[in-house]
Amino acid sequence: MPTASIDTFIACSLMVLLVLTAMANTSKLLYPYVDGNGMASVTEKYREISKYILLNPGTPANWGENAETVPENFGLAKDDLGTIFDLDVDKVSRLNSENAYALSYAQAFSALGMPEVSFKLEIKPIFDIAINLTATYPSADETTYKFRITTEKNGAPIAAELNYYVIAKEHVAAGFTTAENGEIQLNITISNSVEGPALLVAFARAKSNAKIVSFEAHPFAHNSQEPQYKNAFLRLDPLKNSLSVVFLNQEISVLEAYAFTPDYHAVLKPTLNGNNSVTYAIPQFVSASPTILVVSGLNTTTFFIEWTAYPQLPLQFGADFQNRDTLSNVFAYTYIVTINSALYSCTVWLGGPKS
Amino acid sequence: MRKANTGQVRIIEAFLAVIIVFSAFAISGNLPSNHNVTRKEDLASIGLNALMHLGSDGFLGKCIDNAEWSSIREALSLLLPSGVAFNLTIYDSAMRQINTENIANSGLNSQKTTFVEYICVSQNATFRCYILHLHLAVMA
Repeated sequence: MPTASIDTFIACSLMVLLVLTAMANTSKLLYPYVDGNGMASVTEKYREISKYILLNPGTPANWGENAETVPENFGLAKDDLGTIFDLDVDKVSRLNSENAYALSYAQAFSALGMPEVSFKLEIKPIFDIAINLTATYPSADETTYKFRITTEKNGAPIAAELNYYVIAKEHVAAGFTTAENGEIQLNITISNSVEGPALLVAFARAKSNAKIVSFEAHPFAHNSQEPQYKNAFLRLDPLKNSLSVVFLNQEISVLEAYAFTPDYHAVLKPTLNGNNSVTYAIPQFVSASPTILVVSGLNTTTFFIEWTAYPQLPLQFGADFQNRDTLSNVFAYTYIVTINSALYSCTVWLGGPKS
Repeated sequence: MRKANTGQVRIIEAFLAVIIVFSAFAISGNLPSNHNVTRKEDLASIGLNALMHLGSDGFLGKCIDNAEWSSIREALSLLLPSGVAFNLTIYDSAMRQINTENIANSGLNSQKTTFVEYICVSQNATFRCYILHLHLAVMA
């Protein structure tokens, strides 16, 4: 091969390499802006939709209060628009499938008015509280139950103040303690003359800010068989500061109904008695907290205890995005929201066809 | 024979050049996209949302008045998603830093930081205005 050809070959190769390197670098620099702008506009669009759901009260603005009302426009904000990201307690409760007046996803999807956008909502306390019964110490007159209560967020312990109530038949006891390191061993003693099952209701408020609150209720056997699953005897539907209690069989009678917050509790008075239902007024406490509603009763002669939260949290509502990676673009946005002055975490997933 | 060889070499050169150029197009087309801009906006939104909720009932103003820096740090740690590093600096109206302790959950090593400015006022009878600078980053 002549020297000139080798020179030409090397020169051309170098030029091609130079051009190639320049192209690759230019492409790498420009690609995020060329494609990213398109993606950014989609992200921005979905972010605005997620904000719309949380900042807009919907139409009619009080659709949450009226059990039969299906919103024409979907939105969860309070209708008085006091502060932003302040959600309506009834609109949120109507997203929980446990509530008899819950919206279906199809109704909410239609009311959102965006046929190309599927959505899912999750609203839950900002940190978790878990109650575990670890030991029981019976004696002649009373029984002591040892609970391990933990407060944590994603595995990290949260220092919290703990207000708790123990409810059984004709028995309500309150207590307070502190979980400095996100864990507390709590001993609860109940007289053996008290009939169970019993219910331990616990509220944990972050030490740094009392509006960051979590809650849990733990039923346990006391002078009784193991408590049945939730909603075995009654259906509890809180709405518009009113608790509707529906008996799930003819043998049931209600004894007492209570409302609990960390600072206050009250015995509820019935406002309406039906054949197989009772309605109670829920007092509006000033606590920045959910209200735990507890109803006790008899199934023939067997004592039982049921509970629900108002707002009915935690909840997940909406579309299932299990195959989200392959079927569509799905974006998640997390917000801190206020419901009855307490702070919760709200995640909105939005998905549409892949562009 | 020599002329024929020269022609072959030129053809090989041309083929190599075409292959290299098309490879460059193929590789550059599949470079991973970078959504850095979007992530920064998300972080800013999350940070502002958290500060707004803490400030709405006077909590921030009260903590600053009482120099309760750890309360602010713990509250921010709770409200911000896990995996988000933050560093909050608080200034008075003359832009003098007033937090005497570091209000952060870890070092902000990432270059992909975002910044949120929030203004709150004191609950005291004496009017005081505070300027909060919150730097956020996704932890590596």
